[in-house]
Amino acid sequence: MKKIEVALKSVRDEIKSFYDYKKWHFLTLNGVALEDNRMQVQWIFSKYEALDEVVIYYAEIDYTERIPSLSDIIPSAIISQRELVDMFGVEVEGSEKGLYLDEDSMQTPLRSCLV
Amino acid sequence: MFRKYRKKSPWILHYNAGSCNGCDIEILAALAPKYDLERFGVINTGNPKQSDIFLVTGPVTFRSRERLVELYTQMPEPKVVIALGSCTCTGGVFRDMYNVEDGIDRYIPVDVYVPGCAASPELLIDGVVKALEILEEKTKAIEKPFRLFKEASSENGIINRRHSALKVGEKDEED
Amino acid sequence: MSKKTIHIPLGSQHISLLEPVRFKFECENEKIVGVDSDVGFVHRGIERACTTKFKFDAIGYVVARVCGLCAITHSLSYTVAIEKLLGGEISKKAKYLRILLLELDRIHSHMLCLSHTCENAGFEAMFMRIMGDRELVMEIQELLTGNRIQFDYISIGGVNRDLDVQTAKKIIENLALVKAKVFSYIDEFTNNWSLSLKFKGIGALTLEDAYRFNAIGPLARACGLPIDVRNEIEYLPFDEVGFKMQTHNDGDINARNMVRLNEILNSLEMCENILRGLPEGEIFTKLKGKPKGEALMRFEAPRGELMYYVKGDGSAMLNRVRIKTPTFACIPAFSHIFMGEEYADAPAILASFDPCLSCTAK
Repeated sequence: MKKIEVALKSVRDEIKSFYDYKKWHFLTLNGVALEDNRMQVQWIFSKYEALDEVVIYYAEIDYTERIPSLSDIIPSAIISQRELVDMFGVEVEGSEKGLYLDEDSMQTPLRSCLV
Repeated sequence: MFRKYRKKSPWILHYNAGSCNGCDIEILAALAPKYDLERFGVINTGNPKQSDIFLVTGPVTFRSRERLVELYTQMPEPKVVIALGSCTCTGGVFRDMYNVEDGIDRYIPVDVYVPGCAASPELLIDGVVKALEILEEKTKAIEKPFRLFKEASSENGIINRRHSALKVGEKDEED
Repeated sequence: MSKKTIHIPLGSQHISLLEPVRFKFECENEKIVGVDSDVGFVHRGIERACTTKFKFDAIGYVVARVCGLCAITHSLSYTVAIEKLLGGEISKKAKYLRILLLELDRIHSHMLCLSHTCENAGFEAMFMRIMGDRELVMEIQELLTGNRIQFDYISIGGVNRDLDVQTAKKIIENLALVKAKVFSYIDEFTNNWSLSLKFKGIGALTLEDAYRFNAIGPLARACGLPIDVRNEIEYLPFDEVGFKMQTHNDGDINARNMVRLNEILNSLEMCENILRGLPEGEIFTKLKGKPKGEALMRFEAPRGELMYYVKGDGSAMLNRVRIKTPTFACIPAFSHIFMGEEYADAPAILASFDPCLSCTAK
């Protein structure tokens, strides 16, 4: 498991230059709540036909920051982006709320994990 | 005539209100050759308007609430509701999770509770047999004639029905 | 002919669906030109409950309730991730027993999917036949673990029940019966003319699109993309018990069915190998401590790759449990496949994906 830190602004360029869709398999987009209203966003990739080779790109952000969308580079990222929007209440370009949550259910359920 | 066939061949409407699939597979397994619920004439149907038994699995999630109630109201009387699985009865392991309404009896009246995680086909068959008894009772209760009004009282030659309406549950005097 | 499109909904309650999911198809005459899906009907909030309500040693049984079909893979992935954090090695026998149950689970799940595909294609007799034979596998599972669906077999440090000689004998007997049946299914699926009308050339996905949409599981292997996590992890000794990757080149429903059938055969072979060469040893090793750090674990569920990300800070409560389920990752690919197909084929195509919505929404 290799972890690479990227800045949120350059994440599109980094992943664009890294992601070869015949070599790497996009696993998922993950969010982890940290202290002080911050969270870590992780883009997780694994290599086809390699033994335990996983690469994680991560960026630490505030909840108010806007996360760039990767759905033009990786079409299947669109669904995990919608999940991230629902679960953490962050803003991702081009993804609207309402994949899982209704209006009267608990909003941003995973944000308060550390409380 | 309908009464006879309703008892002999109850049709099941199955709705998954957020369960883990375990109970749903067991419903299929119960319909399949080993347990063969179909030998009792039970058929799994997709149409609420033709079904007699409403088989619900899963604690009610927020988004499936309206569908659950809607399906229930679309079913014709008499109908029996079976709650299949622990989480359907009480919420089970999902109790107190934020998107879950612990158990279906918050929304619709339940006649038979079948416990188990996942409820085994034997239990399911027992539940359906029990539901058939209740269905028969309900059929009888529906077909029994009842009166809406008591004898009309007449004062000074004017027939007055104002005070003669029967309240809910009030015994008909002639019974 | 006018260019007007009609919207046809499928779900959330439908006879061909086991689970609530709503698809809204935009149809031009019979052709589907647009798909909109709503998968959030089963969302319960398990990820949050794992970090607020349950302690780490109980979560293995909670996450099994994410999905009844691949319950074993869920609890296995979580448990292995925790074992990684705690350190310590579990015995070889426990590992073999874990693979055994994993493969049994795969057999019964694939059989369910095959029968369901047949039912949705209108072949009720085949549905009944496969469901009837599936009971052979369910019987073994009940003997081995004590329950038919939710096994709760795997605990942190090993497994909960040992395998005795009589059970092993019964398992081998039943598996031989299942094997004979599977050969008859292969015959039926390849030679039955009416099934071929419903399956061949319908709902195809090309290899290029499989790469592009990150398809996984039987869906990807049916178009020739060699992705199988059993090939990509070294935690469990899959190569020792005779794992072989099964791929097909067509990418249509028929190819998916054939991949599943071949996988059942492979799994049967693996189960037999395990039972014949089961090592001696303890089934349970006590592991001490609290999880600290982060771990990522992947396993091959019947529907594809399942990923668990676990983060702990040394207390009994975890910081984060992330569950990435196979169907969830495949939804973009599903929507792509529906484009340009006939509406009448939609239930059969949907069943051939073997979707698991309670996995998807958690």
